[in-house]
Amino acid sequence: MSAEYILNITKPMLEGAQMTILLFLVAIVLAIPLGFVITLLAKSSIKAVAWLAHAYVYVMRGTPLLLQLLFICFGLPLLPIVGEYLVFDRFVAACIGFVLNYAAYFAEIFRGGLLAIDKGQYEAAQVLGFSKWQTTTKIILPQMFRVALPAVSNESITLVKDTALLYAVAVPELLHYAQTAVNRDFTIVPFFIAGVIYLVMTLLLTLFFKWLEKRFKFE
Amino acid sequence: MAIIQVSQLKKSFGTLDVLKSVSFEVNRNDVVAVIGPSGSGKSTMLRSLIHLEQVNGGTIRLLDQDLVREGVYASPQQIKQITAKMGMVFQHFNLFPHLTVRENLELAPRTVKGEADEIVRRKSAELLEKVGLSDKADNYPARLSGGQKQRVAIARALMMDPEILLFDEPTSALDPELTGEVLQVIKQLAKESMTMMVVTHEMGFAREVAGKVMFMDNGEFIESGTPDEMFGNPQFERTRAFLQKSLK
Repeated sequence: MSAEYILNITKPMLEGAQMTILLFLVAIVLAIPLGFVITLLAKSSIKAVAWLAHAYVYVMRGTPLLLQLLFICFGLPLLPIVGEYLVFDRFVAACIGFVLNYAAYFAEIFRGGLLAIDKGQYEAAQVLGFSKWQTTTKIILPQMFRVALPAVSNESITLVKDTALLYAVAVPELLHYAQTAVNRDFTIVPFFIAGVIYLVMTLLLTLFFKWLEKRFKFE
Repeated sequence: MAIIQVSQLKKSFGTLDVLKSVSFEVNRNDVVAVIGPSGSGKSTMLRSLIHLEQVNGGTIRLLDQDLVREGVYASPQQIKQITAKMGMVFQHFNLFPHLTVRENLELAPRTVKGEADEIVRRKSAELLEKVGLSDKADNYPARLSGGQKQRVAIARALMMDPEILLFDEPTSALDPELTGEVLQVIKQLAKESMTMMVVTHEMGFAREVAGKVMFMDNGEFIESGTPDEMFGNPQFERTRAFLQKSLK
């Protein structure tokens, strides 16, 4: 097993990792705000809106992400009449699936963060004359994000690993190239390399969130 | 002149009557200690003055404006405008944990009143000095002792220039050796003629600082008087029984 061989198979895997990272970034950047909107909708005083938000979270968390991805990639185009307009590029379809799915998880995380905030915070804000909007943006949200940070960190690491599901909808990514090399060369090495690349990505992410947690410790 | 006028205040949680027709008045510059057993409705009464509780009946008149008249509340805008003249200090401080001491003081005058930066800065520095915490301005609340937190909370309330300050058991969450520093600040405010209502279990404080002591029991206002009258010669058996137990 030469160093040259390792280099040769690592190169396409790193290219594949770019897809992984791109999907990760799209998913995290869109799913966090969307999740937050869902949290707010679930708290809405309009019953139907709150119910819809809860139903959404229930469905997205209650079915496999893989099913959702297959549904968007291969299911939607089969729908009568509208189907032909719902044919997406498979990477785009995967992004939609990841964002919709992860938004539901983030919504639950933020809901937990809101529950952790003492009602005394709302009372103090009220007697000081803050409006509802000011209370939410200046007092509640910063605390909610702080409380939610460890859970967001955890969810983000899960997201890195879930990107491997791209494999199932045939978008070439990190794992796809590893698998190809394993089949072609009949060696286990590519799997180890893939593992190391995932570990590096999750390590960087872990360090980033550790830094965030420290930065917003409020002590 | 009475700046708090309360008559026949009623409040119930479900079938439980927490306030049963409470009536009293507080004059400008009065320092009123509200005492009574736990569950007597003192906190609920205090909280309803600043609209943290909604009452079911009666009238609250503050600084010659009706917050609620015979059970009917003023408009949300009027409520906001009336309660803006009052400040409140809580048992558990309720400081904003994500803001430093200085930011805790400055956020409301800046965002709510839109006061100019330099004015807000000067005021917060003055008030921190007054409560003896100038050196803690850049600390987060997590780094403070209970007594320090409560002094910050008082300074934060004062930033809004209230005409009336309400205290809901301000020392109940503190270790006994820390209550003194908080009571000291309240005493200082009394000297400066701030109008205050203090729900408290500190009989010593009620006796020493309050101009008027008000006794509540079982959702009713029983009697009030000067500390000498109340501690020396209470008119009602319930007051006597309570004081005997508390002063033991």
